Amino acid sequence: MNRKHIRSRSARFPAAARGRFLPLLFLIVAAVLLLAPPRAEALPSYARQTGQQCAACHNGFPELTPYGRLFKLNGYTFGGGQSDLPPIAAMVVAGYTHTEAGQSGGAAPHFGPNNNPDIETGSLFYGGAIASSLGLGAFAQVTYDNVHSDLHWDNTDLRWARATSVLGSETLFGVSLNNNPGVSDVWNSTPAWGYPYLLPELGPGVPVATVIEGHFAQQVAGLTAYTYWNRLIYAEIGGYRTLSPRTESALGIVPPGDAIKGIAPYWRLAVEPKWGRNTFEVGTFGLAASVIPGDVTGFGTDHATDVGFDVQYQFLAERDSISVQASYIMENQNLTASQGQGIATDTHNHLRSLHVKTSYYYDQTYGGTVGFFHIAGSGDPGLYGGLPSLNNSPNTTGWIGEVDYMPFNHGGPSFWPWLNVKLGVQYIYYDKFAGGVNNFDGAGRNAHDNNTLFFFAWMAF
Amino acid sequence: MAVALLLAAAGCTAGEQNASAPMTAEVAGTEHVCSSCHGLNGKSVNPTFPNLAGQQKDYLEAQLKAFRDHTRADPHAHTYMWGMAAQLSDSTIDGLAQFFSSQAPAEGSSENSVEVAAGKKIFDDGIAAKDVPPCMACHGEKAEGNITIPRLAGQHRSYLEGQLEAFAVNSRANEIMHQNSMNLSAQEISEVTAFLAAQ
Repeated sequence: MNRKHIRSRSARFPAAARGRFLPLLFLIVAAVLLLAPPRAEALPSYARQTGQQCAACHNGFPELTPYGRLFKLNGYTFGGGQSDLPPIAAMVVAGYTHTEAGQSGGAAPHFGPNNNPDIETGSLFYGGAIASSLGLGAFAQVTYDNVHSDLHWDNTDLRWARATSVLGSETLFGVSLNNNPGVSDVWNSTPAWGYPYLLPELGPGVPVATVIEGHFAQQVAGLTAYTYWNRLIYAEIGGYRTLSPRTESALGIVPPGDAIKGIAPYWRLAVEPKWGRNTFEVGTFGLAASVIPGDVTGFGTDHATDVGFDVQYQFLAERDSISVQASYIMENQNLTASQGQGIATDTHNHLRSLHVKTSYYYDQTYGGTVGFFHIAGSGDPGLYGGLPSLNNSPNTTGWIGEVDYMPFNHGGPSFWPWLNVKLGVQYIYYDKFAGGVNNFDGAGRNAHDNNTLFFFAWMAF
Repeated sequence: MAVALLLAAAGCTAGEQNASAPMTAEVAGTEHVCSSCHGLNGKSVNPTFPNLAGQQKDYLEAQLKAFRDHTRADPHAHTYMWGMAAQLSDSTIDGLAQFFSSQAPAEGSSENSVEVAAGKKIFDDGIAAKDVPPCMACHGEKAEGNITIPRLAGQHRSYLEGQLEAFAVNSRANEIMHQNSMNLSAQEISEVTAFLAAQ
């Protein structure tokens, strides 16, 4: 689960609609199930494979501990557990969403304007080793979005990894085949696995995001190669290209979304010093994409360049844990094609996205998180007028507070010890929404009207 | 074991650096996983996880088997080591113990000199008034350990504190260490662990 589920896409690059589930997807899942060896996350399948509690890999799931990062970088292949169950896991998210003022027309089709209980999503995972002896493993997710009634493939990361020695120091080499730029990353300061880990499907959500914040999620295939030297320096480089409309349809994604022309390069560089119970990471990441808006040819291409910087600090002790993550993404947009299509007014814009959060967990069971987000960029009537934004501005700023209770992070009940549950209450407070504090949409709605209270139960089993 | 097989293919650096008998591929692969928490060559950065470098071979073997059969059941054993050890064969355990015991021990840390001095007194002489015998009687004059008695010199201080507390409340079952630790005050634990960590 990541925030792409809930964060709306940029108006410039309209989100691909989700399609109904097609039989091919069932075939793929069935094939994975049948071909997988009978062995082998807080995916419960990872816990079964390793024999460890969720808390070994996760600091308040899904944030990864240092050991969890190594587990992923080594290709999800560490073993140890005695379970013979296949590496399959499931996840269900149920919630209740309240906004300060109701959303006219309903929070979503078939939902009322406010105070909506719902089953948000259900997911099935393949999480674990595929062939340990070859260094092959996977995280693969299929999600049914109950709010929008569609089934589609979700974050997927197939990887191969090998450890060797370079200059006398341990060096990991690996390759990831995945479907979302950044999903291969192991720090929770970057967008694909960054906070908020869960947002209400029925809340207004932040209306604009940079391209690397999930815009191409599940619509692309990418191959990245990475190395991790001496458990200190991490470097990854790769490229992404858009799937064919036929493939997207088969995977539950309804084309056309925005299409990458050619291959979009992705890069990542990070340094992670450690001392005592502390780990600190500072890094940079980015994506440069030539984009055909809506896959409509004849208007040339847009170009988006995202350059991000991130930091993460974790203090993980026996009872107390503290973590801080922050990212700042600078996006420069050349919108020649969008202007030609009449969906952007200016040919050049910029967007900036800042996310900061800090969490405290006690005994990996009780936790609290406070986060801040600030999205700002150049105004553009064509891009943002339809948000709707009276000022034609993407600028959105707010705070997120969350309290969590995870009763099974040290092991579930005896009948299913791999059950993990996060019960939480989240509150999102908007200082500014779509460029305005008051009457941001020209219809009298204020930013505070979007403040969202979300009760949720997040279960993985 | 899946991990072992994977990392066997990887060929582990630590094994190649070991001057003693070469590790089997399975042991090398497994050691790579151990190093995720216990550090490269068994020198741990994080005090949650003990240094293994230079530890007594028989002690390591006994502990891994105790994790495997769940007879060592302190909280961290449950969180991490039960799973880690569940599928280790006797031969892999032997190989791991051989590898870690043959590594040069971690150097001692810098600790408060007053506490170190007080801790040395406990280590050397025990606390007669509390029926606490000298630690050195079993753990050796330099806290180097002996056979199944662990090396304590240079170990992370907070790890040692945690183990003494676990012995005291019997969450780590060991009757001798339970008797020896149950009457220690927090200050005394702090002192003796400062001394040991500094060695």
